[in-house]
Amino acid sequence: MSSAADTAASALLEIRDLHVKVGGQEVLRGISLTVRAGELHAIMGPNGSGKSTLAHVLAGRPGYEIVSGTASFEGRDLFALPPEQRARAGLFLGFQYPVEIPGVNNAYLLKAALNAARRERGLAELDAFEFLSVVRAKIKLMQIDESFLSRGVNEGFSGGEKKRNEILQMLVLEPRLALLDETDSGLDIDALKLVANGINSLRAAERAIVLVTHYQRMLDYVIPDFVHVLARGRIARSGDRTLALELEKRGYDWISEQAA
Amino acid sequence: MATHAATNRNDTLDRIMRDYEAVAARLPDAAVPREARGHAKCELSRLGWPKNSDEAWRYTNLRAFERVPVFQPAVLSRLKGAAVAAGDDAPAAMQLPALLPGFERLLYVDGERRGATATDAAVDGPRWPAEQRLGLLCDMFASDVAALRIRGTAAIEVLFVTSGFAAGAACYPRLQIELEPGSELTLVERHLGAPDAPTLVCANVAIELGRGARLTHYRLQQCGAQTAFSDTLAAQVGADASYNVRQVAIGAACARTSAQVRLSGAAAALSWQAIAVGRAQQVHDTSLKVEHLAAGTRTEEVFRGIADERARIAFSGHIHIASSAPGSDARQSLRGLIEGAGAEIDLRPRLEINTDEVKAQHGATTGALDENLMFYLLARGIERTTARALLKWAFLGDVLRAIDLPDVRRAAEHGAAGQLPDIMAIGALT
Repeated sequence: MSSAADTAASALLEIRDLHVKVGGQEVLRGISLTVRAGELHAIMGPNGSGKSTLAHVLAGRPGYEIVSGTASFEGRDLFALPPEQRARAGLFLGFQYPVEIPGVNNAYLLKAALNAARRERGLAELDAFEFLSVVRAKIKLMQIDESFLSRGVNEGFSGGEKKRNEILQMLVLEPRLALLDETDSGLDIDALKLVANGINSLRAAERAIVLVTHYQRMLDYVIPDFVHVLARGRIARSGDRTLALELEKRGYDWISEQAA
Repeated sequence: MATHAATNRNDTLDRIMRDYEAVAARLPDAAVPREARGHAKCELSRLGWPKNSDEAWRYTNLRAFERVPVFQPAVLSRLKGAAVAAGDDAPAAMQLPALLPGFERLLYVDGERRGATATDAAVDGPRWPAEQRLGLLCDMFASDVAALRIRGTAAIEVLFVTSGFAAGAACYPRLQIELEPGSELTLVERHLGAPDAPTLVCANVAIELGRGARLTHYRLQQCGAQTAFSDTLAAQVGADASYNVRQVAIGAACARTSAQVRLSGAAAALSWQAIAVGRAQQVHDTSLKVEHLAAGTRTEEVFRGIADERARIAFSGHIHIASSAPGSDARQSLRGLIEGAGAEIDLRPRLEINTDEVKAQHGATTGALDENLMFYLLARGIERTTARALLKWAFLGDVLRAIDLPDVRRAAEHGAAGQLPDIMAIGALT
């Protein structure tokens, strides 16, 4: 597996001894993790273990106090960048609870986000026609009706539709690093397979995916290279996909007890 | 009464009365019957000029009205009258909006009708209570009226333009609409013009809907930055009739809307959806009183206000459900967005219920942009300024989307976007 000590040139994300407080409470208590291009990491753990905090801190959500530690993304100090620059640099956060923004339509958001990322990469912006041809193929893959493009962002969407929309955004933006925060929560089995298909379609040698999940079931469809278990703000154990299967059998208590 | 009136008099009221005496003999009875003018004069004298210490006028920038040099209608003013009399080509020199397809246009310049289109005979207007007393000014001074009695179906645009000739004086737009039972009207009422001196635009609107009538009333206020705008409206909605208002307040130094809607027939319905966008030191102050007087009456009230820089926006929504109105349904949703450090928003929802078996809900929130929404957009790589603009646009979206006429919606959107310059840059307009 990857280790903090191993800093190969292909490391996309490098987290070292990260301590983070929320509301005065230390939620992350020394996280170190290296994610290289081409890898898929699953971060698992019981409720309150710090999984979502880690994803949100990396994406730049305000309200977190970084006490100590570092995180670099392709060699750049992640914490020195505002969230929009992290996104444009190729970091994508898939939200557990995507917000509804009535009045801003999906097509506008997607096109603005895609063109912002393209500008960052020195590529020409897409016009409306080019954008539509890009987005249509992805919409089809996610089995989303094209009429959704003219609807407000997540407006009136079911929980499953919101998650599919998150994956659609990811497919359109083609990030270098995707952090997916409990994208599997609240999905029925069909939606879960769809979302998993979307994630798998994006796996590539130049890209990494970090999948935050509470349950093992997603990992039946998206096979991780590494599994890490968070407990009490630390990575209590790392392994391959067999660790997830063991968690499925034994639950989290034994790891939490060890972490304590 | 004389003593009471004397204690309420101040310089502004004195000037109003002097200006009135100077022109009263020349004011046409066809616009306002002479007795009604006399009544308005006495009533204003009795009530006095409003004060900010009165709750109903607390948020109005009365100084904007007091700065108006002359209360006489511009068309009768000695200084401006000659120019206006010869000024038939004045509107041609102004940029008027394109005609709305399928609409008949009535054009009023400085309160007087241009063009040959005839309207119906004026009727006595409503009697204005104290909180609508600026309506008395229009009753006193109006020199013309757009009186429309609608039978069947119609689509009418009434354009009130304030020209440069009116600068430093006053215009008194006056609109009287009566819908006969079962008839239907789509009405666009638009106030435009930007004279280069403090100018009063004081509009009165009286509406009566017969049984089963339906009025969709789009109201766009885009007066100039030195205009003190008063808009006084009274509507009576008969049984099974519906009155739908979509109001966009953008212009003027100070704009005061005082509206009263009476749902007097069973199952009468009101939908009032409004936005106000203010910047610099603009004041938008709306006072809307809705009276449910009959069974099964319904109100839906939506207000969205954005105050940027040092602007002040106030909305007072008072819904009264009388004991004669069981089964009524009243909903209020008032929201304000404070964008400027010196900006202020005051929302005052009020439900007064005097009967059982009603559905009523109200909510009022004022604050800054939602940080969760902001982060979502930033996490997609959207620039911070663009994200702010998008969210402000989305904030106004409920009301703008409720404007069904594409041309009117476009005008409203561009007007609102003009008040929020960063929105123009993001290309989100339809």
